[in-house]
Amino acid sequence: MSILSFNLIKNKNKIFGFSSFLILLSLIGILYSTFNTSFKKPINLGMDFIGGNELRVERICDNECDKISPDLVVEKLRGFSNIKNISNNIKLQIQNNNRLISIRTPYLTIEESNDLITNLDKLVGPLNYESKDSRIIGPKLGKKLLTNCATSLLVSLVAISLYISFRFDKKYALFALLALFHDLLIVFGVFSWLGIILSIEVNSLFAVSLLTIAGYSVNDTVVIFDRIRENLKQSSNNYNETIQISINESFRRTFFTSFTTLIPLVTLIIFGSYSLLWFSISLSLGILIGSYSSILLAPSFLIKD
Amino acid sequence: MKRRQGWLFFIIFLLTFSIYLLINFPLQLGLDLKGGSQLTLQLIKDDGKVTNEELEAVNAVLDKRVNNLGVAESNLQTLGGDQLILELPGEQNPLSASRILGKTALLEFRTQKENTSSQLKNLQLQRFQINDLIDLFNSVDKQNEDKLLLINNNLSALQNDINYSSSNQDLYDKLIDTKKYISNEITALFNKTDLTGKDLINAGRRQEQTNNNWEVLLSFNNEGGEKFAQITKSIAGTDQLLSIVLDGESISEASVGSQFINTGITGGSATISGNFSAENARELEVQLKGGSLPLPIEIVETNTIGPSLGSKNIMKSLYAGIFGLIFVGVFMIFNYRILGFVSVISLIFYGFFNLALYSLIPVTLTLPGIAGLILSIGMAVDANVLIFERIREELIDGNTLIKSIDSGFKRANSSIVDGHITTFLSCFVLFILGTNFVKGFAATLGIGVVISLFTSLNCSKTILRFLTGYQSLRQKNLYLKNNTNYI
Repeated sequence: MSILSFNLIKNKNKIFGFSSFLILLSLIGILYSTFNTSFKKPINLGMDFIGGNELRVERICDNECDKISPDLVVEKLRGFSNIKNISNNIKLQIQNNNRLISIRTPYLTIEESNDLITNLDKLVGPLNYESKDSRIIGPKLGKKLLTNCATSLLVSLVAISLYISFRFDKKYALFALLALFHDLLIVFGVFSWLGIILSIEVNSLFAVSLLTIAGYSVNDTVVIFDRIRENLKQSSNNYNETIQISINESFRRTFFTSFTTLIPLVTLIIFGSYSLLWFSISLSLGILIGSYSSILLAPSFLIKD
Repeated sequence: MKRRQGWLFFIIFLLTFSIYLLINFPLQLGLDLKGGSQLTLQLIKDDGKVTNEELEAVNAVLDKRVNNLGVAESNLQTLGGDQLILELPGEQNPLSASRILGKTALLEFRTQKENTSSQLKNLQLQRFQINDLIDLFNSVDKQNEDKLLLINNNLSALQNDINYSSSNQDLYDKLIDTKKYISNEITALFNKTDLTGKDLINAGRRQEQTNNNWEVLLSFNNEGGEKFAQITKSIAGTDQLLSIVLDGESISEASVGSQFINTGITGGSATISGNFSAENARELEVQLKGGSLPLPIEIVETNTIGPSLGSKNIMKSLYAGIFGLIFVGVFMIFNYRILGFVSVISLIFYGFFNLALYSLIPVTLTLPGIAGLILSIGMAVDANVLIFERIREELIDGNTLIKSIDSGFKRANSSIVDGHITTFLSCFVLFILGTNFVKGFAATLGIGVVISLFTSLNCSKTILRFLTGYQSLRQKNLYLKNNTNYI
């Protein structure tokens, strides 16, 4: 069992140091993103939350698609567009060997969006309309979605907190919740950084992933605390050692569980469709951090000096 | 032992029933999996909340319009207190649908105020000019500064004529604003009457004989016919015109000949000929047949997914799901031997129960829904891992197999229930508060969590009891990997 045991008593300070480092890094990311980026938000909000138009469509090419320059296409599209504000804010990406074109613009009506596709077809067509994926979200709905996601997160965090404090005594509940907020903050921070560096945006599925991570992380911590409580009742060993033993005993379970949950998520990342990619990534990240916090961080709070 | 056998039969019965359900009631796929358009419609009310009655009234009108759209299997349902979702399977261009649904379609008949003929003539000319400018703007290359300048100058001249200036800077916005202004001015020259779209019993369309334009035919009910006769009688033979106003904009102005001076136009029908294209005439016909909306609506979200992308999404998710399951299964069998085998069987049951419930409830399967299902498999495996780890510990402690299995299930119970409850709480909140997109995820994960409680605590146990009934399967080394590794 040697690889599976980790001396918590000795390494308590290292764990706290590591977690503090991660939290600090996340906070820096969040602050930087709020004050020093073009979008001025703690995290790069996607079109789910601010409204806009997203279009992904494939070109029909015989063998290989001829090379096209995104800047040139955008320049030409401007010539067709009626509304200045929109033509100045077109973002265009060409992926998949010049085959897949994705375009982001501010909010368009369906009519304007159709015009955009028609014009795009003239420039780089023929396009395969069978493969079209178009989303238009009005600014009104965006705001509604944002408040909606924020309330969902808050309400379920409160619900989980209530359940935990009812289920455990105060000390355990507090530590489980600390570990939970630690996990959420770090995942949030990572996506703040992703927004700053790679312009990755978060959508409503990101909020869903945070909620799922919350449930998962609390679940993990509860299992370990359960074991600690059980062992403290029975064993005559010294307090710190009992905690250490309980962690060694639950390590296999937490490791296997994270592993078996990660497997389907990784297959989703590899095989799943594009719209689930960042959702799967944030869930995987949350599960990794959640396992770390429940097996190492949360029990460290219980260790007495 | 007797009770366990009962459970075994019950589980086999459930499995057969699930398969029966799946064969007879196939799963409903969401639009992101089969292609089509989805529109989210938001009711607009400036003061106060939208009441249930208003939502129902809007729903009823839209339902009639949707039925007249002619899209097979279209589906309209309310979402939350003030939204509606319209699904149009297979529809790749929701433009026409959005135009038909988005309009309030309040039809009014108005009579011209006295002594406003010259004013109206001027405005009609200006309306013609602004429409011309807009057409021109739509056709020119927006990088062509000379043309744009020309349009801008013409617009300024027109705005001078009508004494109006728009607060917008953008040329397109200015054009639209000016058009609106002129149209409002025209409407203001007419008096309201008590004849509206409510007095219609039917609407139709036909092509005009003289040119290629279309006209829309209106049939009034008895009362409406009388009102129409009265109104036309009042202005027959004068220079006052009859205006047909749709959503505040006059779409057609016509004079009533002096031959109607005694009786008005009788017969209970009228024609609107306002230079309609075939498409426009059809849209107005559908709107008038459905009646006007009690509250205006706005289309706040439009998703269109191509059919080949939809089937690609299915294949991708299917691969992800199957590979995920195979890897998990291999891992479990490798690690837990017979126990792993049991968990694989109970996971297969789990899959069937889940899918059967989807078709029973029914749950429409979407991409986030599939993600929820795949994630819930993780939760279900977790429960098995918890139990098996406990059983393993009991075995290492030297307990007998049967006793280890019993206390393994008993001792893992509370952790499993806790974990499932916290996840279920999250799902519940998401389902209540979430959007359509999120609801799919919450529904499948939530259902998965509930079923997982049953399969992990009950199915696994029953199957395990069944297997341990055979003497040859009771050897400890079938349950423990290399005992020597563990002290």
